[in-house]
Amino acid sequence: MTTPTAINKTPPIEQKTFDKHVSNTGAALNDTMIEVSSLNFSIKNNAILKNLSFSVAAGEVYALLGGNGAGKSTTLKTLLGFNKPTQGSVKVAGKEVTQALDFVRGKTAYLPESATLYPHLTARENVEYFLSLADIKKSDEQINAAFNRVALQRDAWDRHMQTYSKGMRQKTAIALAILREAPIFLLDEPTSGLDPVAIDEFNQLVRELALTGATILMVTHDVYGACQVANRIGLLKNGELVGEYDAPQSGRIDTEQVHAAFGHHANRGA
Amino acid sequence: MSINNFSKVVIVAKDEWRYWLRSKLAMTVLAIGLVLTVASVIVTAITMMELSHTRHELQATSDKSFVDQPDRHPHRMVHYGHYAFRTPSPLSTLDPGIDAYTGNSIFLEGHRQNSAMFADSRQGTALTKLGSLTPAFIVQTLAPLLLILIGYSGISRERESQTLSYLLSQGTSGATLIAGKGLALLSVVALILTPLTISALFTLGSGEGLLAVASFVLGYALYLIVWVLLILLASSVFSKNSGSFTALAFVWILLCIVMPRVASTTASTAVSSAGKIETDFAVKAELRKLGDGHNTNDPAFKQFKQSLLNKYNVSSIDELPVNFRGLVASESEAKLTSVLNKFAEQRMQAELKQTQVSRYFGWVSPMVAIRSLSMIVVGTSIETHHRFLRETEQLRFDFVQGLNKVHVEKLSYQDDMNRNADTAATQKARVSAQNWQILQDFTFNVDSSKARAQRSIPAFLQLLLWIAVLLGGIKFVGRRLL
Amino acid sequence: MSYLLKQLAREWRFLLRQKYLVVLLVCTFVMSGFAVFSGLSEVTQQKQTIERLKAADLTDLTNVQHKYEDPGSLAYYSFHLTYSSPSNLAFAALGERDIYPWKHRLNLLALEGQIYESDAQNAELAQAGKIDFVFVVSALAPLIVILLFHDLFANERTSGRHDLLVTTAKSYFALWGARIAVRLIAVIVCLMLPFYIGTLLSHSALADVGFVTFICVIYIAFWTALSVWWGKNASSAPRVASTLIGFWVLVAFIIPILGDLVINKTVHSPKGGDIVLTQREAVNDAWDLPKKTTMDAFVASNPQWKDHVDMQSEFEWKWYYAFQQVGDEKAGELSHAYRDAAHTRYQLAGIVSWFSPPLLLQRTFTRLASTDALAAFRYEYRMRGFHKSLREFYYPWLFIKGNPPKAALKNMPSFKKTMLNEMDEPEVTGVKLKENLSVN
Repeated sequence: MTTPTAINKTPPIEQKTFDKHVSNTGAALNDTMIEVSSLNFSIKNNAILKNLSFSVAAGEVYALLGGNGAGKSTTLKTLLGFNKPTQGSVKVAGKEVTQALDFVRGKTAYLPESATLYPHLTARENVEYFLSLADIKKSDEQINAAFNRVALQRDAWDRHMQTYSKGMRQKTAIALAILREAPIFLLDEPTSGLDPVAIDEFNQLVRELALTGATILMVTHDVYGACQVANRIGLLKNGELVGEYDAPQSGRIDTEQVHAAFGHHANRGA
Repeated sequence: MSINNFSKVVIVAKDEWRYWLRSKLAMTVLAIGLVLTVASVIVTAITMMELSHTRHELQATSDKSFVDQPDRHPHRMVHYGHYAFRTPSPLSTLDPGIDAYTGNSIFLEGHRQNSAMFADSRQGTALTKLGSLTPAFIVQTLAPLLLILIGYSGISRERESQTLSYLLSQGTSGATLIAGKGLALLSVVALILTPLTISALFTLGSGEGLLAVASFVLGYALYLIVWVLLILLASSVFSKNSGSFTALAFVWILLCIVMPRVASTTASTAVSSAGKIETDFAVKAELRKLGDGHNTNDPAFKQFKQSLLNKYNVSSIDELPVNFRGLVASESEAKLTSVLNKFAEQRMQAELKQTQVSRYFGWVSPMVAIRSLSMIVVGTSIETHHRFLRETEQLRFDFVQGLNKVHVEKLSYQDDMNRNADTAATQKARVSAQNWQILQDFTFNVDSSKARAQRSIPAFLQLLLWIAVLLGGIKFVGRRLL
Repeated sequence: MSYLLKQLAREWRFLLRQKYLVVLLVCTFVMSGFAVFSGLSEVTQQKQTIERLKAADLTDLTNVQHKYEDPGSLAYYSFHLTYSSPSNLAFAALGERDIYPWKHRLNLLALEGQIYESDAQNAELAQAGKIDFVFVVSALAPLIVILLFHDLFANERTSGRHDLLVTTAKSYFALWGARIAVRLIAVIVCLMLPFYIGTLLSHSALADVGFVTFICVIYIAFWTALSVWWGKNASSAPRVASTLIGFWVLVAFIIPILGDLVINKTVHSPKGGDIVLTQREAVNDAWDLPKKTTMDAFVASNPQWKDHVDMQSEFEWKWYYAFQQVGDEKAGELSHAYRDAAHTRYQLAGIVSWFSPPLLLQRTFTRLASTDALAAFRYEYRMRGFHKSLREFYYPWLFIKGNPPKAALKNMPSFKKTMLNEMDEPEVTGVKLKENLSVN
């Protein structure tokens, strides 16, 4: 699957930005940045998440894998502070999400699934607008550098985003996430709908980010994509964590279990 | 369109209905729309029938009290005067139009043209300034909003949920899809128009012309078709439901709420019409030249006196076989009336011109077009009021001159001149109450239904132009739905 | 502070990039501008008309006074202009002036026969209603606010940007607060700017302008709060707007219409036609009644003339005017009931308007601008007062003194003088006016 040419196209990593990035986070490698323990979440007595526990450390890429309705998005929304846990605790950057919402949101960069920014603005205007919302000032050069890093072609930078392909929109959103210099990245189905080249580019970028000390949690239903990029994979089924796998490169993931997890939900959904 | 295509259109329309039946919003809107229309038809019909009844009654009372007057000096009856009431036309149960805004009764007396008195709006609560519970208001203003709420997502919904490409790829053409959605909306239009049509058909029984009823229903149908087409167009052009909705809501505000008022404001600013008081000064100046009909010595009647003496070949007015005072009264009334009529005509023409300016706005707002069309066809437009003014003026002139004729022929000049000498002389200067029968029964009738229908042709053309332009627009976007 | 300004500046730039918002705001400005412009020209026209009428009235009166000597003919042929000038704020709320008359010419004949004549403008235009500033604010502004705010949240939700925006924004205010504030300020400025220009041109009182600003801002803030609150958790913008527009239809049309129906059913009023018929019958019957009957009735209400009612001939002006007044008195009860009914309706409508914010605003506004029914009632009250002063002027000449010398005619009352005399009077409130109406 790996396309060397695609990786080669990726511009060289700008060491300067990375150093700054690491120093800004204040997190040393292997510090626990996301800690979910005994999380329960239910809507009207309908349990969506059951006793969910996992943690992600700085420099780690953690993939939460599951089928439709497994509770992936709910977990993500809880981490972002949109859902209040019924029971249990959700800590991001050492603080309870519900108690330090603005702090937590300041530490996280969120990449929504259908990364639609404002179609009537250019990529640059979008990035500027969102940075201003976060009260971050970046020079044009810094924004250009970020666009270069995510390999967004130069002629698109000042074009209205309604002309963008899904991959280009995704790249802009990642550029924004990088520019926010948040130590934690929450990615929602980041590769869905992307072409293989774009997926490779994206995976490459995620690994680079992790190398510089970023904490990355992605939720996905793409088993193979998760295997390619994640250090660890948590398998979510019916709101429960049914399995956790370390560094898939080092050992094979239990396909039986994966299929069981997905299959069950497919049946339930029907 | 082939049979096959038509059945596809029907299928699309049925599918749209199924969507509405399952949508709480659409059903609520539809129910509210029907309740409002039916309620307005009933309430307005009752109100207008009561009004009609009251005015008929008042007219009869007024007629009776005139002929029941005792023996009197005939000129006293000229000043006693008479009342004329404007009874509403049968169709005005559907659109009272200006009925409440003009006085509905007029006092007719000698030497004066009074304006109509007692406009109902002045006894009102000012609560209905924005709208009233009349079928006309409900269908003109609220029905388009209801259609928008039901239909805004007709095509944009299919596009947003990506069923549009699926439908089109299955061989349903864009035109068929739009026609189907249009058919569904037209069935809603038919539903809204049903109570209106039934009520309109009822007026045939009270003597309304078929042409007027047909024009009325057709006018409203065309108007709502304009809105159906607007909705289809917006729904086809916009890629999102919200875009289609916002655009339609905005267009509704502009066309239904803003434009009618802009039209009337522009009209009154563009064409100034002097009020009655103001023209009365000019009337008075001109009348002063004619002389006072009460005063036979007024120098203005010198020539008239001479011509009379010549005509009857006598040397003094005492020898005249007729009552000179009556003749002067009759002569001056005729002259005065022609002056009054001249100014009244000018005022009516100015009003008509104003109204015309506001009606031109029908080219830019179908709401203005249907508003004029409806009032014209129903017979509650300014033309009808003018007709009322003209007819009552004729009535006034006829009874005043009738009384003057009695004055000339039935009362001797000597008795007349001595009338204030003593009580006996006053008694003598009278004529029999029999003479009061000269009053003709007055019933106000609106223009013939043909005349009204003809008058509404420009408004029809305005609606038809809207339809033509919108059909063109839909045809254009229909080919590029994706 | 600078942080706050920064947020507002960003959202302002952002707003300018959204074409439909800009179109909406421009349209708001144009509509408000048109309303103020046409309001100003309407008021100017009314003022000019009054000036022209005043001049013509004076010429006419001078002519009559030259031509006639005896008080009877003078009173018969002299018409007196009465008018109610538009206030400085009238341009913004033309109110009921297109329905109620604001100019009349009266003479000494029976008042009830004169006062109901309407010199109204084109009825078909009155029926359509005029567009004035208060209409733009009360009826259109809510719709504009709904269109501006209904998709504030829903639009971001359906486009999948909501979560990203919220998690990116440094605080809730930085995002939604600033967005709401910028749109709110923009729509208020677009609405009010033409009004302020209008107040400058018409020299309105600063206190009035301040009060108008206050109620307009409250009103628009109310609709904004409602739209924002209703749309907060919604994900379908049209659904939000449908309900909000439905609410607008309810308070702008349905509630007032129902209120009107109920009020008209509960408050009974004599028919206007009956007043004039009664008055006319009384006046005309007098010709055939014994003079004494009329004079007795007259003296009953005007005892000061009881020694001067004897008549030398079959026709005397004093008798003629006496039966005119007796005619008025006969119709007095009906006339009072008619006015009372109108007044009760006005007051009940006030209760209804508490359930209809657009009408409440219109009512408050037209009251402030003195262009409402109450102002029209007050004008009628003044006309009645003026007619009374005319009677007081003529009666001594008619009953006792005979032909007035030309110098005495200078003391003839004019409507302007009566109005000046009233200046010391405390501002007539609704209740006070009702008492006053019953006095005359």
